[in-house]
Amino acid sequence: MGGPARGGRELIHVLLVEDDPAIAEMYRVQLEYDGYRVTVATTGDTGYESLVASRPDIVLLDLLLPDRSGLEIMADIKEQLANHPPVVILTNYGEPAMMDRGLSLGALEYLVKSRVTPASVSQSIRGWIEQARRGSEPQN
Amino acid sequence: MVLAERLAQDLTALGFLALGAAMAWEWYRLRGKAQGRLAVALISLAIVAAIGRVPEFVSVSGGAATVVGVVTIFAFEASAYYVLLFRDAFLPLSPRARQAARILLGATLVVGLAEVTVLSNAGRIVTTAAAFELILAWVVFAGEPIVRFWLASRSLPSVQKARMRALSFGFAGLIAILVFDVFGGNAVQSPTVTIVTQLIALAMVPIIYVSFAPPAMLRGLWRMKEATELRAAIQDLLIFSPTRQDLADKAVGWAKRLLGAQGAFIVDSEGTIVARSGIDDADVIEIVAARKGAAEGGIEEPLPGRGAAIVTPLHLTEGLGFLGVTAGPFTPLFGSDEVNQLKGYASSVNAGLERARVTERLAAIEANKTQFLNLASHELRGPLTVIRGYVSMLQDGLLGTLNERGSKAVPVISTKVLEMNTLIEQMIEAARLEDGALMLRPEANDLRELVKAAVNSATPVLDGQRKVRVKCPERPVRVRVDGERVKTIVANLVSNAIKYSPEGGPVEVDVVNRGGIARVSVKDHGVGIAKDDLPILFTRFGRVSTPETDHLPGTGLGLYLGRQLARLHGGEITVDSDPGRGSTFTLHLPAAEMTNAGSGRSANLRPQAARVGTQDGPVTRGGDG
Repeated sequence: MGGPARGGRELIHVLLVEDDPAIAEMYRVQLEYDGYRVTVATTGDTGYESLVASRPDIVLLDLLLPDRSGLEIMADIKEQLANHPPVVILTNYGEPAMMDRGLSLGALEYLVKSRVTPASVSQSIRGWIEQARRGSEPQN
Repeated sequence: MVLAERLAQDLTALGFLALGAAMAWEWYRLRGKAQGRLAVALISLAIVAAIGRVPEFVSVSGGAATVVGVVTIFAFEASAYYVLLFRDAFLPLSPRARQAARILLGATLVVGLAEVTVLSNAGRIVTTAAAFELILAWVVFAGEPIVRFWLASRSLPSVQKARMRALSFGFAGLIAILVFDVFGGNAVQSPTVTIVTQLIALAMVPIIYVSFAPPAMLRGLWRMKEATELRAAIQDLLIFSPTRQDLADKAVGWAKRLLGAQGAFIVDSEGTIVARSGIDDADVIEIVAARKGAAEGGIEEPLPGRGAAIVTPLHLTEGLGFLGVTAGPFTPLFGSDEVNQLKGYASSVNAGLERARVTERLAAIEANKTQFLNLASHELRGPLTVIRGYVSMLQDGLLGTLNERGSKAVPVISTKVLEMNTLIEQMIEAARLEDGALMLRPEANDLRELVKAAVNSATPVLDGQRKVRVKCPERPVRVRVDGERVKTIVANLVSNAIKYSPEGGPVEVDVVNRGGIARVSVKDHGVGIAKDDLPILFTRFGRVSTPETDHLPGTGLGLYLGRQLARLHGGEITVDSDPGRGSTFTLHLPAAEMTNAGSGRSANLRPQAARVGTQDGPVTRGGDG
């Protein structure tokens, strides 16, 4: 499984907002192995602060968080942060209504954790960043 | 002829006495205010009739004649007054009307007494005028209720309506008797006419009795008219009322109608009033507390100032409850007939309430089950995600190198975790389906790609040799479907085909697009399915039990979900099986119109699995990002 090249270029920064430490750690292991820089936030508030402060390249966002819902955070991001990084929802809620809501709030993808492997998520990150860049160009 | 005339007059008088006695007995039996008043009125009238016969037998003259005259006038006036009071018990008079009635009564009394005393020797014109005034006043008292009862009956339900019309008819009968017997008899001197009028008056006696105190048969007849009309409605109520409360509310309404009752109530085993109508809480509590009736129900003594009641038991799961009705002014009568009627009705209500209880309980269980499924599946998904993630990392070698035994174990773990994952997904999907919350997300798809992805996800990595052959047409097979769902359906068919082919025979997957229908057939060379077992295949939790397959894991949800999902897409799953030689399951889906799959939508036809490159592709949003 080849990750992104760990060359002289700056590492891609992934912000993972996930309250379950076991799941967060699992993704961190995979992503760091694949050469990403990973920041984990375990609550919605710290996640949002981290997003504002460190401007990651991509956000992997859980929906069920101890303090507030990921969808609320999505709404805040959409409203308050111009040119925010792409957000991919990574959750265990696969209800179609939630999916539609998440996507309508501007999430790039809506993934159900139990249906994807960490490796597949990791492999898709570059594509997502690319896709977001392409998607935002015609609008600006 | 004279003898016949006298006999007719005697018989009429006796008939009146009998009528008065019958009414007195009725009052004694039921102790109703209205019955008492009517009894006084009819007995007074009987006295008038009887006294009228006295001169025939005993010679009355002078002072005695005056006494007889005074008694007659008083009895006659009393009958008029009590007839009015009887009417007042049903439809209360306004204070002004009562005042006017009393003045008229007083004036009539004066005129009447004057006629038999001071004016006894006055001219014929004067006595006739006085008699006319007397009878006119009486007719006003008895005639007004005819109209009032008839008018009141119009807005009442069937049984009460019949009751009020009978009363109206009874009053008409009283007047008819008066006109024929007293007035007619005096005015016409021909014995033949007298005999005829007397016989008519006599014939009226039983009719009046029946009108005022309807016998059970007549009450049954009134009810029958209502009952046939109500039976269907009651059945509807008992079978289709959504909740217990709803049923109880409607049941008391129908109970009232059925017996022409004023009030009705249902009380549960704890004495809580479940439903009531036309009666207040305090009265219900009092009636139930004072209940003396037999265990199987019966007529209850009327409470002070109130009508009689019938209370019947309801044998509810949680204990003994009661259904009761109370009599009001418009209620015909409560007799053993009504008790039986209410008992029959109560047993239906009983069954209905129990049915509603079970339905509510089932709904609660169903809700709990769905809640449990939701909770369990979400709670299970978390740990499973971690296990699955690490297992895949182990397989990828990301967590280090395992020895030979270790690397043999990992694929097994992976397969089992995948199985568990599938089960959980099926449970969640089934819960959604039952909740009516299953929502499709149809998008333009190429069925070939969905099938390939599904086959990939269904063939575990441990299966070194690919025994699933996929045959697709060269051109895209365009369908507008929920890609994830269709992949699930096909993956389930493929994994079933592998599971039920213990010999390891090949599984052939064919994608065909013909005649507007896209088909995916999955053919195995496994154990096959007996014809008798085919119907249960697609039922929820329906698994065919055979010695060859009993050991295989499965929930029996896969095909059920598959068919339901296919149908939600406007498609179907069919099966063709040859026991011992194999089965072919075919998924039929409506093919998308070629025009719909033009350039604007071609972006959506990107193979999803290819984008992420794993067994389970993520849900993607298509090309509008």
